[in-house]
Amino acid sequence: MSTPSLDSPSGHIEVRDLDISFKARGATVQAVKSVSLDVRPGEFVSLIGPSGCGKSTLMNAVAGFTGADGGVLTLDGRPITGPGSDRGVVFQQYSLFPWMTVRKNVEFGLKMKKVPPSQRESQARTLLGLAGLLAFENHFPAQLSGGMKQRVGIVRALATSPQVLLMDEPFGALDSQTRSVMQEILTNMWQRLRLSVLFITHDIEEAIFLSDRIYVMTARPGRIKADIKVPLPRPRTPDMMDTPEFASLVRSLKKLIREESLAAMGGELRGGGYAGLSTEIGPEGVAHVL
Amino acid sequence: MALMDRHPMTPPPAAAPPHPTVPIRQPRLEAIEGGAAARPGPVAPFSLKRWLESGIGGAVLGSLSIAAVLLAWYLATRYKVEFYIRFGNIPTPADVWRSILDVTHSTKYAVNIGISVRRVLIGFCGAAVVGTVLGVMVGRYRIFRSLALPAMELFRPIPAIAWVPMAIMLWPNNEVSISFITFLGAFFPILLNTIHGVESVDGVLLRAAHSLGAKEKDVILYVVLPGALPHIFTGLAVGMGVAWVSLIAAEMISGQFGIGYFTWEAYSLISYPDIALGMITIGVLGLVCSKAIDMCSKLAMPWLALAAGAAK
Repeated sequence: MSTPSLDSPSGHIEVRDLDISFKARGATVQAVKSVSLDVRPGEFVSLIGPSGCGKSTLMNAVAGFTGADGGVLTLDGRPITGPGSDRGVVFQQYSLFPWMTVRKNVEFGLKMKKVPPSQRESQARTLLGLAGLLAFENHFPAQLSGGMKQRVGIVRALATSPQVLLMDEPFGALDSQTRSVMQEILTNMWQRLRLSVLFITHDIEEAIFLSDRIYVMTARPGRIKADIKVPLPRPRTPDMMDTPEFASLVRSLKKLIREESLAAMGGELRGGGYAGLSTEIGPEGVAHVL
Repeated sequence: MALMDRHPMTPPPAAAPPHPTVPIRQPRLEAIEGGAAARPGPVAPFSLKRWLESGIGGAVLGSLSIAAVLLAWYLATRYKVEFYIRFGNIPTPADVWRSILDVTHSTKYAVNIGISVRRVLIGFCGAAVVGTVLGVMVGRYRIFRSLALPAMELFRPIPAIAWVPMAIMLWPNNEVSISFITFLGAFFPILLNTIHGVESVDGVLLRAAHSLGAKEKDVILYVVLPGALPHIFTGLAVGMGVAWVSLIAAEMISGQFGIGYFTWEAYSLISYPDIALGMITIGVLGLVCSKAIDMCSKLAMPWLALAAGAAK
């Protein structure tokens, strides 16, 4: 499988001082505040943080689904103005077109690129073969298991040979066994393709297992709290998860996230009318005590 | 051989060597594969549920209900039952049967059917095209919604039949005005269901299409339309029903020709068996049309039959 990312080092996402806010029930909510981050060509980067911290909002901006209030957002130096097939997206929810067979789903991006039908078909079949899904090419998504649907989703996003892959908690809806298998499949696929990946998750082990670097985000408004390099060697194998090195990474990340989760919950408690409680034990105080 | 003698009822398979566990294993396998019902031996007790599921039961009960209706009709008309409702002038099933045989000798009946079917097809197909196109535009684009919806809400509560006098004045001839009334009957169910279908398309599919490089025309063609299709077909099925209702009423009021006119004319001419024949014909035509839409929807949406929860 040849992709542009193999031949030329491209797929550099740069985010500088990004601000995103949206209106919810008349009030303006600051979702992301002065975030700067980089995904370098061929790098696997995870974005991790408490739920509601603006991870998905940030990814939607990189994908081009939502605009930003301020800051700079570029892919290989070109500003991102809308969605495009240079950025493959894998969604948290199943997003296959239910009315298309597995192969037609994978072909869709190529069809949009006006690739002739016979070429489309052979490319889609090659990709499906690599993902072990060729036997299901004529199935409809409703006939697939959750893990298979998500694998087709990844294959579909890769079919147009994007420079970067954006993944928004792609395994969030899967059971833990399927999930760990999918992580292994993904890391093997990445090893072969070497494209840039921005991976959003709230699962610490998943982030460490897959990534070269991990950005930890704060509670809303989302800021980058830490930029952590994962020193584990490549290629990654599941037994690495049992090493003390892995465990100590998990511990330190857990601590960082925990503080932010508590901050987020403290904020919710305050917002939810528990003013007495939250003034007594502020978010920082709780983190300290626990 | 000694084993076979001890268990004459359950001989082990010829190919398998005699083994003491065979008679024990056999029923256990059956329990897994076929359930208790498949086990040979005493006949299973009669189960109403299983009988109905077998297909024979359903057919027997179905014929029974039709036979009951025919019998009640026969008895009521044969003995001219009168208690508030009056069966005195109602034709018997035999009268209607005779009129069915008579009618096949003349072309009048067939011509009337042909004219009604043509009117329905013109009105319904027009409504299907206009209703779907307009529904997609109104459902997808805010500007069309703001422009078109108030006017539509104004016309929607007016039943198609109320348009009969106006339609006769509006259109150059009777044929067009009846088709127009049929169109109106089918139009609103199709339009409203299409709008609803477009609005119900999952946003993540639109985002997925955009991220794969789809332009607006591709999104409409490959995502919005197929996504709305189940609702569109609901609209078509309802629209077809209303189209027939509107057609028959229009034919009875203003008509020349058509199966509605045939039925009303039979009343005026005191040929009562033809009233029942007309009614039965209208019922059969409606049934055929609704089955045709059902078949089209199955052909157009093969993925729906596979979705979890679809009853087979």
